[in-house]
Formats: sequence, C-alpha cells, structure tokens
Amino acid sequence: MQSWDSLSPLPPWAARLVVLAPHPRWVLGGPSTRVASDPTNCTLDELMARLAEGDRAAFTPLFRRIWPPVLRLCEGLLRSDADAADAAQEAMAKVLIRAADYDPGRPALPWALAIASWECRTVLRRRVRRRESLDSTASILARDVSGEDEAIQRQLTAAALEVLGSLSEVDRETLLATFWEEAPSVGGATLRKRRERALGRLRSAFRRLYGLD
Amino acid sequence: MASIDVIALERRIRRRYEAARLGRAVLGMLPAAALVWLAVVIAARPSSTLLFGIAMLLGGVALLWYGREPRRALLPGLGAGIVPLGLALAANAWGHVCTGSGCTTLCLPACVAGGTIAGLLVASVGHRRGAGWGFWGAASAIALLTGAMGCACIGLAGVGGLVLGFGAGLLPDLVRTFRDRAGSA
Repeated sequence: MQSWDSLSPLPPWAARLVVLAPHPRWVLGGPSTRVASDPTNCTLDELMARLAEGDRAAFTPLFRRIWPPVLRLCEGLLRSDADAADAAQEAMAKVLIRAADYDPGRPALPWALAIASWECRTVLRRRVRRRESLDSTASILARDVSGEDEAIQRQLTAAALEVLGSLSEVDRETLLATFWEEAPSVGGATLRKRRERALGRLRSAFRRLYGLD
Repeated sequence: MASIDVIALERRIRRRYEAARLGRAVLGMLPAAALVWLAVVIAARPSSTLLFGIAMLLGGVALLWYGREPRRALLPGLGAGIVPLGLALAANAWGHVCTGSGCTTLCLPACVAGGTIAGLLVASVGHRRGAGWGFWGAASAIALLTGAMGCACIGLAGVGGLVLGFGAGLLPDLVRTFRDRAGSA
C-alpha cells in the first residue's frame, strides 16, 4: 500500500496544517480498508476498522458482537449487577465513540476490553470515594455534640479505647500514628496494608463487643 | 441481573457516536478556519471570500463527519485549492499590468493558471489512488471553494476562470481513469 507521503500533492509545510487537528490519522485518512461488503461476514477487527472509517453499516454488528464480552468482563470485575451494567454501558459508548482512534493493525477485542476494564476501575474508585465520604460525614456529625450527646460521646470514646486495648501492639501503634498524623516507621504500600488490616480488626472487635460499627 | 434494553442502548450510543464524529470534524477543520481568516484579512473583497470560506469549512466538516472515501479527499482538495488562492491573492496585491493598449488585472490569469495546477494536482492524486467518484467530487469541490476565496477578487469572472482552468487540468486524467476502469471491468 502506498503511504500518504508518496501521494500527497502538498509540500511538507502544507501537510503540517493538520497538526493542530486532534486526530491526524483521522483527518489524513490513513490506510483504506477494503473488506467484504457485507458487514455480517466481517471479523471483529474488520468491523472496527470499517466503523473507524465511518462505515455506519458496521455499527450494529459490531455492537452486538462486543456487548456480551464487555458485559461479562464488567460483571466479573465488579461483582455487582447494577454497577456492572452501568460500567458496561459506559464502556460500550466509549469503545464505539472512540472507534476513530482504533489502530487497524491491532486486534479490536483486547482494545475494547481494556477500555471496559478501565471503566470498571473508575466505578471501583467511585465506590471507595463514596464510602470515604460517608465516613467523613459521620465524623462531622459526631463533632456536633452537646449535653446528653457529650455523655454518649464519652461512653463511645471509652468503648473505643477498650477495643483499642484488645488489639495487638502493632495495630494500636499504626492506628494511633494515623490518628495523630505522626510520621510512620514504615511507608508506602506496607503502611497502607497495615492500616487497612488494623482498621478491619478494630471494626470487628467493636462489633463483637458492642454489636455495632 | 439488571435488565438492559440493548436496542435502546445501541440507539443512544449511536447518537453519541454521530455527535462525537461531528465534534471531531469541527476540530479537524480548525486549521482550515485559520486559512479562511487569513484569506479574509488579505482579500480585496472580504465578504465574497468569507462566503466561499464558510462554504468550504461546512463542506470540510461534512466530509470529515461522513468519513470513507470523501474524507480522504479533504486534504488533497484543500492543498490543491491553496494554489489558486495564493496566486489570486498575490495577483490582487500586485494590482494590474499596463501595456500600450491599456491596463489589465492579473487576477483572472492567476485564477486560470492556479485552477489548472489545482486540477492537475487533484487528478494526479485521484489517478494514483484509483479513487472513485466520491474522491473526485469531494476533492474538486473543496479545491474550487478554497480557490474561489481568492478568485472572487474580480467577481464571478475570476471564479469562472478558476472553474475553467480546474476543468482543463482535471478532465484528461479523470477521463483516463474511468476509461481504464471501464476497460478492465
């Protein structure tokens, strides 16, 4: 196949006119993809290449072939039907909208699944953020206490200290360092894991002693 | 399992796909918009230049949005159209030439010559690619609209000269390409 450069009637400076465009390959045209005229007989890669070229006839067959594996992947990664459905729908939209970015030299399915897994990661992060925001709301509410609430607060503090006492030395040290924002003796991933484990044990000890979180 | 209306989902994504293509098409034509702005600033008749420029930009957006063969015609068409545009703007800046029998503007000859070169360029790319009607039509339209931005300097006569020159440059190769294709079929 002849390259664009060998066909271009333009001097290089004129060809650079398109540099500002967001997708030069898309504007320049790229290699032409001449494949079977009936989209139902095409492979997935051919369908994706056709859609990248703007062939709308490839849209429906491509959608129908990609949807099941994308949904399965999201269900496997998220383990929640509602979240998986949301993530799969968003992933499908991204895959098809970004079809113009598809590189015909690469297989289409892994590319689509990579986008889907990235979408699942986003959903997971959102889930974590939501949980953290609920925790911080609870602590703000706890600060706004008076009178009778103060007595309850004192009881809770005493209970928390009792539970803290039931934990191991390492867990206690980790939690206190986290609470007082002290410089930890370990850093990075080790500290995060240690903190997660300590918090988990604190929660289960609290639940065991008082029956609530 | 949450039930998903796959047909409605497909329809929704299809709409987003078309909107995204349109958005990219508009972004893709931004460099050409800069060219139109430059031509309007330099041109003697900015209103005509602007009119042809807007038509060229809309045509370019439509080609990029549609895709396939017409999309690949955009850059050759634009590149070829810059030749008559540049020549006409230069001729306009030069003014006119006076001989013993009188004075004549350089715009018309510049448009005819530029149109011929543009026609030859489009023909050369189309012939080498073995392109179909979509390419020839789209590249010619974009080249003529781009060239017309400059050739409007003396009104319709300039544009007419451009079209004639372009046709003269394009036709031989166009006829040869489709005759060869008919012969091989």
